[in-house]
This record gives sequence, C-alpha cells and structure tokens, in this order.
Amino acid sequence: MKVLIVNNMAPFVSGGAESMATHLKRNIEIAGHQAEILRIPFQWEPATRIPSQMLMSRAFELEGVDHVIAMKFPAYLVRHPRKTLWLVHQYRQAYDLYDAGHTNLPEGQLGSDLRRVIKNADDACFRDARRIFAISDVTRDRLAKYNGFESTVLRAPLNDPDIFTGGPAEGYIFAGGRVNDAKRQHLLVEALAHAPRTVRLVIGGPPDTSADGDKLRATVERLGVQDRVRLDLRFLDRLEYARYVNGASAVASLPFDEESFSYVAMEAATAAKPIISTSDSGGVLGLARHGTTGWVAAPNAKALAQVMADVYASAERTRELGVAAQACWEGFNITWPATAQALLS
Amino acid sequence: MKIALCSSFVPFVNGGYRNIVEWLEASLLEAGHEVERIYLPEVDTPELLFKQMAAFRYVDLSAADRIICFRPQSHLIPHPRKVVWFIHHLRPFYDLWDSPYRGFPDDAKHRGIRDALHATDTAALHEASAIFTNSRVVSDRLKQFNDIDSEPLYPPIFQPARFQFRSMNDEIVCICRLEHHKRQHLLIEALAHCRTPVRLRLCGVAGDPGYAEMLEGLVAQHGLADRVVVDHRWITEEEKADLIADCLAAAYIPVDEDSYGYPTLEAAHARKPVLTTLDAGGTLEFIVDQQSGLIAPPFPEAIAKCMDQFYADRGVTRAMGESARSRIDELRIGWPHVLERLLA
Repeated sequence: MKVLIVNNMAPFVSGGAESMATHLKRNIEIAGHQAEILRIPFQWEPATRIPSQMLMSRAFELEGVDHVIAMKFPAYLVRHPRKTLWLVHQYRQAYDLYDAGHTNLPEGQLGSDLRRVIKNADDACFRDARRIFAISDVTRDRLAKYNGFESTVLRAPLNDPDIFTGGPAEGYIFAGGRVNDAKRQHLLVEALAHAPRTVRLVIGGPPDTSADGDKLRATVERLGVQDRVRLDLRFLDRLEYARYVNGASAVASLPFDEESFSYVAMEAATAAKPIISTSDSGGVLGLARHGTTGWVAAPNAKALAQVMADVYASAERTRELGVAAQACWEGFNITWPATAQALLS
Repeated sequence: MKIALCSSFVPFVNGGYRNIVEWLEASLLEAGHEVERIYLPEVDTPELLFKQMAAFRYVDLSAADRIICFRPQSHLIPHPRKVVWFIHHLRPFYDLWDSPYRGFPDDAKHRGIRDALHATDTAALHEASAIFTNSRVVSDRLKQFNDIDSEPLYPPIFQPARFQFRSMNDEIVCICRLEHHKRQHLLIEALAHCRTPVRLRLCGVAGDPGYAEMLEGLVAQHGLADRVVVDHRWITEEEKADLIADCLAAAYIPVDEDSYGYPTLEAAHARKPVLTTLDAGGTLEFIVDQQSGLIAPPFPEAIAKCMDQFYADRGVTRAMGESARSRIDELRIGWPHVLERLLA
C-alpha cells in the first residue's frame, strides 16, 4: 500500500509531531508498505487568515495514494477517500482555549464566525474519516465534547525504547526533560530541603529560556542544597539522557495537568524505574500509581520530601515498584509496530 | 539565512526533480544556512489546475528570509524574496501543445485554460527577484512564451569527486532509466553496424518491463549477446562510479530533453567523452562535437561510426574525455557558483 502521512509544519520550527511522523513512516515501511510524509505549512496569525489555510489544505489533489494518515489541523482537511486521523490536536484556540479565554480569534461576531467555520470544516472531516484515533484521553474527550465524535486513544510510542535498558540504582532521583515552570523541577529542589540528607537529585535537560535555568540555580543557592543536587541544564543527547535514567533509583515527572503519559514517565517505566509524580499531573497518573508503580504526592514540597525519603527507605521495595512500572507500561502494548498496524487498518 | 526550498511533487515518484532540490539543500546546510524543504502535491489534470494554484497562493512562508522555487506551480507561492530556479513549464500547455503529448483536445475550453495559465505564470514570475533555469532550452522557452529573461544555472551533481578516471576498457556505458525515449534500443541497433569489437553496457530500471524485454530481444536478434550487457536493475552509486571510471566512453541519447542530463555530467567528471544525438536537446549545450564528445544524427549507422571512432582512436577519445572535464568549469557547473547566484 502507498501511505501518505499528512502533517502540518511551522516553517523552521521542529516539533514533537514531526518526529512522530518520521517514526511512523519508518514503521509503515518496516510493515512492508511505501510511505511518504506531506508537510503542509500552516500560518495561524493573524487569525483572519486561518480560512485561507483551510482552503489550501482542502484544495490540494492527491493521486497515486492508497491511504492517508493525517495528524493536525488544518492539514487533516486534505481530501482522500481513505483517510484515517491520528489526532494530535485540533485548533484548540477555537475550542477549549477559546472557552478559557486564551484565543487569537478576534472578539465579537468575527471571532465566533471564524470559530464556526473551523468547527464546520472539522465536523465534515471527522464524518468522512475512515477511523479516528486520538493521541490522548484529553484529546479524545475534547473531540467528543466539542464535535460529538467518538475516537480510540492511540498513544505515541517511544521512538528509541531499546536504549532504556535499566540497570543498578546508583542512588539518585532523576528529573529529565525540558525545564520550565509547568514541569515544576523547582518543586523537587524545594522538597530536597525537607528530605533526609541521603537523598540525591539530578535535574538534566534544556531550560526553555535562560530565565528558567537561572531561577532553578537561584533556588538551589537559596536553599543551600548544592551538595545534594546536580543541575545538568543543557540539551542532552539521547544516550546521555538514557544513562541518567538507567542509573536512577527513581524518576520524577510532575508536570501540571499533562495530556499524555509524558515521555519521561514512559522512558522510566521502560527502564524499570519507579515513577514519582503529583496528584495534579493529569495523564502521567496513568503510569504513576501510588504504592504500585511509584509514588503520587500532593503537589507540595513537604509531601514530595516524604516520597523522597521512601525511595531511600528500602532499596528492595523501590526496585520492585520499578519492575511493576515496567509491567504496567508493557501492558499497554504501546509500540511502533502495533501503532502502525492500527493506523493502517 | 533561513531558506525555504519549494517544489511540487508526486508522492511516491522519485527522480531528478527531487535531486536538484535535495542536493541544493545539502549544499546550503553545509554552508551553514537553515533550510526547510517544502514539497506540495500537484496533479496536472487541466480542470484541477486552478484550484491547486489557489492553494499555492495561500502558502505563507513569511518565516523564511528567502524562498527558492523549482517545479511548477511552486513559483506561484508569494514571498518578498522569491528566487525561481525554473526547471520546466507545464509543458502540454506550452511547447508540447502541438504534439502528441498534449493529452487533451485543442478546443475553446482548453485554450482558455492555456491562456489563463500563461497569464498567471507570467504574473507570478514577475514577482520573483531573480529567475534562473536549468538550461538554455528552458530559458528560451521562458522568453518565447512569457517574454521573461532568465539566467541558465546548470545543476551540478552531488559530490562529483566520486567520479574519477581509472582506465579505459572497450565498453560504452549508458546508465539511466531504460525508457523508450532514452532510446537504448538505438544503441543496440547501432552496435550491430559497428566494425570494431567495441562493447555496450546498458544499466537501469525500466518503468515498462516490456521495454527491457524488447532490448533483450534486439540483442538476441542481432546476435550481440557476447558484446552487450543489459543490466535491468537500479545499480548502486558505487557500482555506477566504478563502471564509469573504467569505461571507454558514455552514451546518452534521449529525445529532446530540457537539460544536459546527470549521466552526461557524471561521465565528464570521470574524464570520459559522451556520445549523443543531434535531437537530444539539452546535451547539446554541454557536448561540443569532436571535443567533449561526439554528436551523431539519430540513426544506427551514424551512431555506429561514433562508437567505432571511440574504439579506434583511443588517444583522441582520451583527449575528448579531458576536454569534457574542462567543459564543466567552462560552464561554471558547481555548487559554489550555484549558491553564489541563488543567494545574490
């Protein structure tokens, strides 16, 4: 089968969905098909230009393509008789972000007209789709709430699970990934000040802005925990990153209201490491289960400090939770071969 | 500089039209630029043309400092710094209108589409800050049909140093897709007329398996099995470089192509002369008869004479190979020159 993966692009900005599309392509090829990616440029500013971008996606003609897998608005509006959607997101500023007042759509009649144009086109697209998969529970629920369409959750697999081999615990808690306020690495540093002096913390990843990095360094200074925390604030290559995960006693992932499992938690579970999270971390709680696969604390420093103490209380218990996290993750069978198969069916 | 390379494509169809874009991308990245490659689909059905052209008009690449447009109708994309490296028109509406390749009737409707297309193309090309083409032939067409001046900017091959002279055996090689319009059959028919023991090797994949069978049939019919190899498959780049390094000369005799063709350039980099025909089109911009190669009328007897000459006058053949190599520099075919012109 000749399979075209259709995705948006923001010129000169590479996002997570781009690497998803690349891995999907490779895995469709491994499954014995031909695959190619169509990236359609999308400009959403000013918002009054959005209808032209929708028309553009709608006006392209595809020939010699047997199956389309489309991921984002407005690229998914492309016409094809056999189109499966793997919905990463809709134009949220016309839906939940509109309701929350975070939208670039203008106020008044013009804004509500634009919103209706987007919704009508989406509805027609969803009606015509062969199947609809959503990247997360949140995306699925949003689609049901705003457009009234059912979908099946199909989470994005890890791209390089083989490097998360696990290994002996070297006595530190690892918090990886992008560093910013919403990912709340600062909360871990604050917890450290309340935790036993045996607890070691490693924070590794690129700060979103230099201010994010400075803030974290200042917090460490202010609390005087320099001897117990290591800040490796830069872009880590995948093997460096995996080495931190594989040597950790536990891995922390406490983003605020995350949509997905979060890659950090998925990678920890793959490496059989228990997961530390917080009760308001949203999707992460699908993998982080208190007392089973790790610990879920209230989102404050004191509660997290107690969890940190627990990690060190029994190495055996901590190891067991890690093995359980791995089993939990594997139970979902979120792998690229299974994902490619679902999207081609 | 942030540079967007824009072209149209047919999903799952590869070919030279992608090479020029992707090799330029590699050269720009090497020179330290940020590059975004944008391939948008286009189907050439007359009735569907204009709505697709509207789509190209809606493409917003204001994030780029400059865009470079290749295959039609990518030149319709608006941008304040639009450079066009024009590789062909939608030819059925231009030079192929009065030919069997038009594929639709010469009626009022299609003439209307044609005229509107010409007007649109001309207007979009006037938006460009610079217009280059891949050959003199295409520049002439732009002048003839759109009254637009342009500069031929010959497309180099990727990493040309792979192609080196090693030796000269007694084989003439033709390495390109096996296609009727590339006329490998004419080379076999010519060999039947040769008086010297010169040999022939044809390598490439046939889009139509029937053509490969026809070639095999011709070889058998003329009793040439011991002097012709038909290697019907996609040979690797390494194999290709090896074959060219050791061959006597190369042959490339397509019917009226726009550009000189990558096979011509690959041979020239390896200091091998190229045999072509008077009606081959773009090859004639590169090959100078009796200097960088031989140009024959498109008939077996005439082509055979050239093949014999390559074999018999090896000293002259060798000298023509050197001259083919010099021709590359004479025409300034190289990535540094391409980058200098496109980014000027």
